This record gives sequence, structure tokens and C-alpha cells, in this order.
Amino acid sequence: MRRAEAALADTTVWSRLGSALDAATTTGVLVAVLGGVLASLREDIAARPPASGGVLSGAATGTLLGLVAVAAAVLVLDRLGPVSATPAAAAWWLPLPASRRALLRGELVRLTAGCAVVGAGLGLVGALLGEATPSSVAGGIAAGAVAGAGLAAATSVLQARGGAGRAGPVAGTVLVASATVAAVLATAAARGVLDAPAHGLSLGGGGWAPLVLVPLVAALGVAADRGLPRLRTGELRVLGGTAAYAGASVLSLDTRDLGRALAGRRERAPRRPWTFAAVRSPWQALVAADLATLVRGRWQAGQVLVGIALPVVACRTQGLNQLPVVVWLTFLVGWTLVAVAAGHPSRQAQAAPAVDRLLPLGPAQVTWTRAVVPLAVAAVACTLTGLLVGLGSGAPGSWTALAAAGAAGWAAAAVRGAYRPELDWAGPVMATPMGAVPVGVAATLLQGLDVALVASVPLLVALLVGGAPSASLVGVQLLWALAVGSGGIALTARRRSKAG
Amino acid sequence: MTDGRDTAVALLTATGLVVGHGDSAACAPVTLALLPGRALAVVGPNGAGKSTVLQTLVGLLPALDGEAEFDGQPVDERRAQYRRDVVAVLDEDAFFPSLTGREHLLLTARGHGVGDAEDVVDREIAAFGLAERADALPSALSSGQRRRLALAAAFVRPARLMVLDEPERRLDAAMRTTLAERLATRRDDGAAVLFASHDAAVVAAVADDVLLVGDEECRLLPPDAAAAAMERS
Repeated sequence: MRRAEAALADTTVWSRLGSALDAATTTGVLVAVLGGVLASLREDIAARPPASGGVLSGAATGTLLGLVAVAAAVLVLDRLGPVSATPAAAAWWLPLPASRRALLRGELVRLTAGCAVVGAGLGLVGALLGEATPSSVAGGIAAGAVAGAGLAAATSVLQARGGAGRAGPVAGTVLVASATVAAVLATAAARGVLDAPAHGLSLGGGGWAPLVLVPLVAALGVAADRGLPRLRTGELRVLGGTAAYAGASVLSLDTRDLGRALAGRRERAPRRPWTFAAVRSPWQALVAADLATLVRGRWQAGQVLVGIALPVVACRTQGLNQLPVVVWLTFLVGWTLVAVAAGHPSRQAQAAPAVDRLLPLGPAQVTWTRAVVPLAVAAVACTLTGLLVGLGSGAPGSWTALAAAGAAGWAAAAVRGAYRPELDWAGPVMATPMGAVPVGVAATLLQGLDVALVASVPLLVALLVGGAPSASLVGVQLLWALAVGSGGIALTARRRSKAG
Repeated sequence: MTDGRDTAVALLTATGLVVGHGDSAACAPVTLALLPGRALAVVGPNGAGKSTVLQTLVGLLPALDGEAEFDGQPVDERRAQYRRDVVAVLDEDAFFPSLTGREHLLLTARGHGVGDAEDVVDREIAAFGLAERADALPSALSSGQRRRLALAAAFVRPARLMVLDEPERRLDAAMRTTLAERLATRRDDGAAVLFASHDAAVVAAVADDVLLVGDEECRLLPPDAAAAAMERS
């Protein structure tokens, strides 16, 4: 079969060499661009006077980010198996009277190699964030690759021992707890309540690491290989379906579908059913349904906490807090996490349009009503973020008010992003130095974030100006976010009313 | 149900309605008028276009030609009042995510302004034999149980028009009889009922008129002629 495939494909030596050269050139360009951006960032930080409130060293924040990255990797690996078989492979190959280890070994090798490559990339970024020397860059790449391969092997061993689906929740808890604790401790340190963790995790020079880690990862790899025969067909098939769904979502850049693919295993029925006794009208019923979906979601609460913690940590990190635009970007990333969590009920409804027809509400009414719960979530998240940032900066009232005033923009972003249309790859493309970019797809992917970006401009102004935000700026932020948010939801409501 | 001429008080009318997908008609044009308190069964062989007729009549598919009106206005399922008046149980089961079966029924009833929602829901849960599984998530139910839950959701709320696509599908014989009785009661209470069916007993128990869907002609039959027509098809 492979020979037949090879006969149909263009797999000559020259075509392969060409592909390899393309990949190497693209990687080289990306590394050069990334290195330049990070070097420029370091120089910017070094050129600025120290800003007040920076209590976390870059190393401490880097350690935190490393922990978060590891937890996130375990979360994804656990969700996808990590070892799985596509439905076709499960149907055709697994029932054969052949060694299952031999059938699945290729999958394990590809998985481990893929994780090693991703880990190497992250190690490279980590190395470039510090004082980049040839040895530190090589060390970072090697350490990342070994860590990535180790995580893949370790989760595979766990899966073979019947622990599939257990590592994810633990990793998620670690991720949320580490980000939240870091934000709270940094705020407390900035207030002078306790001492700051000034240093990151030290590996004692790191010379011992290869001696210990490489044999350990190799042993884990052998154990994972030996565990392959114990994997059950049904589980491999289900996980393969999920992995294929996630892979297709990544390939098509559909982040909404990727979120659905990684959303988690089957839900459990609630222990305490709701009676909805306070519901008297259709819109109240819709709000109650959204609230139940959000409260019962597995990841949404943790996602909101991480979204709050991220900008707080950035504001408290020495060096980083001297770059207003970078801090603003961390606000955007953190509150995007909040908006994605708050838009969870709308995304569910977008996938099953019949749900929105269950109550006597038109599409526009449904769209506006679905903004109620996101507005509440965004208001709480923005207020808490502003409070924590403000407590560390010495002006809690002003920062709390400014952050809370922008909540309407983020609520609109949640709804607009959740109800964005399906990606249309048939549209025109624009030639760029990085290749052809399908304009329509990019515009669709940005729906939701576009509203948030525009609505957050007053926050950027406050960060650039520095000091405590003025009352007039808070007022401008409130009115601007309300106007932009209302416009964003109105556009979405109009499109949905036309589409039905 | 009338032959299409007496449309003054009809709740749902169709005049020369051509239904289908793309440019291809699924069956001959449909003309009908359904009055309140009457039930119309849509019958025909598999693939005749019954489901397409229903989906077009409720506004989920655009008509290729002709018109469909509900309560004197062109059918527009996007209107809130239409969603209040019309309940449809078609191929696609729709449940509020993350809610149990009982919670879904309760929220549906309360959202439609049912005052004694808990009593109504308890009655429908018992009527559709869902008592033991009412507190499970729909995703944990069998396909037959999900079908019963969808039907129960149609009965916990008021509606002037009920549209059902093969409501007897995946139900056992006893449940089919119960369902036919419930539909007949709704009809007698003044609601209009439009349903597609392959079950002659359900058609005989519920329908006042029958629309036989075919490629050459869609024609109205009296209920007593329906069984023979269904056997031939």
C-alpha cells in the first residue's frame, strides 16, 4: 500500500530535498525574526528607568511560564490520548492478529518526535528571552526537546496503566493554581506584605541535567512502548476521532472547533439539579441556560482565573512592567481567555442552531440576551484584574474603575467571537512576504478580538501615560467600551437575523 | 383541513409550494390549508419528500417556488411570535447543553410562560416513560429516550401548531398508542397538528386528512383511504 501511495505521490529525492530546504529556510527566517524581536525587547527594557511595583524577577516569571507550559502540554496530551488510532486504523488494523505494539509504535514515535520538536521551539524562545549565546540557545533547544519527549512518553505510560483522562485535571489544577498564587503573591509583595520570589528555579548550573534526564526519558520511552499492547481498541478509536478533529481544526485555523475538540470528555449529570424557579420569561430562561452551561463547564472557571492572573503577573514583573504596549498585550491575552470562557454557552449554541429556536425569541433578541452572562463574567474578571493591578501600583480605585469600565467590550467580544461565521476558504488571497494570506479567513478569525482591541484603546492610553488613571479617562473608557461593544453585538445580531 | 380554497381561517396554508434542495424539486407542488383543531398527516414512501415538505412549511428550508403562510403572514421562523406559536420535532434533536432532561423540560416550560411548570413536566415525564432517566444528561440517553424527551418538550409548552416528522420513530407499540392519544387530545383542544408518518394506526387515530406526497402529484385523501395508499406506497 505504501508503495502504491509512493507511486502516486511526488516523492523523488529532489522534491524531498526541495521541501526540506523550504522548511529549513522558513524555520531560519522565523528564528531570525523572533530573535530580533526579543533582542529589541531586551534592549527596550534595559534602556528604561526601573518602574515601581516590579517585584517578580524575569527568571521567576520565566519559571512560572515554564510550569504553565508543561501543565498545558500535559493537559493537551491527556485529552488526545496521547496514543490514539484514527477510526479507519482502529477498524482495519487493530482487529488483525498482529502485535499491537508494532501497529502503534509508529504513532508513539511520531507523537514523541512531535512533542520534542514543539519543546525545542519553546526552549529556543526561552533561551532567546535571556542573554542569548550559542551555548545557551543550544542548551535551551536540547532541554526543550528532551522535556517534550519526556512528557509524551510519561503520559503514554500513564495511559497504558489505565490513567487516561486523569492527568489532565491534575495538570489543569496545577496550571490554574500556579498562575493564581503567583498573581496574589506578587500583589502582596508589591504591597510590602511579604517578600517577593526574586529568583527563578535554579538547576544548579544545569550540567547534571542531560546525565539524568536523557536516560530517564529513554526509560520512559521504553516503558511506553511496552505498554502499547495494553491500550484498548475502543479508547484508541474514540481518542483517534478527537485527535483527528483537533488536527483538522489546527490545519484549517479554526480555533473555535479546536476548543470544542479539546473541551473534555463526556460531561456528568449535576448532583444538584436546578428548578429555575425564578425564571418567568424567555430571556430569563436563556440567561439561566447560559449560566448553567458556564457553571457546569469543566475548564471555564480556571480559564477565567488564569486570564485574570496573566496581566497581574506582567504588571509585577521587573522589566516587563516598563513596556506599556507589552503589558497591554498581556491584558489582551488574559482577557481574551476570559472572553473565550464566557462565550462557551454561545459557542455551544452556534454548533446546534436548533437550540436558539427553542424559546420565543428572535435571532437578534437571542444574540443580545446571550451577552448578559458574558457581561457579568467580564465585569467580575476585569474588576478583579484592575483591583490586583491597582493594589500593586498604589492606586487601586482608579485601576479597578478603569478595568471594570471596559467589561462591555469584552462581553461583546465573547458573543461576537462565538457566533462568528464559518471560515470561508474560497475567498480572495493577498500576497505577503510570508506567503498567500486568505483575507476573508483572517477577517473572520479576528471577529470578536476586533471589538476587544478597539474597546481597549483607552486602557493602552492609561498604560502609556503611566500613573493613576484619571476620572475622565475612566469615563471615556466606559462610554467607548459601551459604544464599541454595542456596535459589535448589533452587527452580529443583524447578521444572524438575516441568516435565520 | 380544506382543499386549499377555504383559507380564511386557516392557520397554515401552502399554495403551489415547490420544495427541494438546490434546484431539484423533491416532489410535486403542495397546496394545503390546515385549520386550528385539525390534524393533517403527510404520507408517502421513503424518499418521497415528506421531511422536505415539513421543513419548508416551518421555514427551515427555502421554498423553490410558491408560498407558505402561517396565521396570514409568510412563514418566517425567525419571528419570536412564530417560535411561540409553532413547535416542531423534526430530525434534529435540540436540547439546552449541560442540562438534564428534567431541567430541559422545566426551562422550556418556564420560558414559554407555563405557570405550573413542575406539575406539567412531571406529567410529561411520566407519560413518556422517562421517570428513571429524567435526571440524566441527554447525551447519556439512548436514541429512543432522546426521541421521547424531544416529544415531551413539545408537550410541556403551549403551541398553536405542532409539526412532527415521524413522531412514532424509535417508539415501542405502547408508546405509539400513547403518543397518538396525546396528539389527538392536543388537536381536540384547538391546536393544529401536521405530521409525517409511516404508521397507519397513528395516522388513523390522529389525522383528519391525509396528504399523499408523490413525484407526479401531491393529493389530499380522506383518512380512511390513507391506509390503503400507505400500503401501496
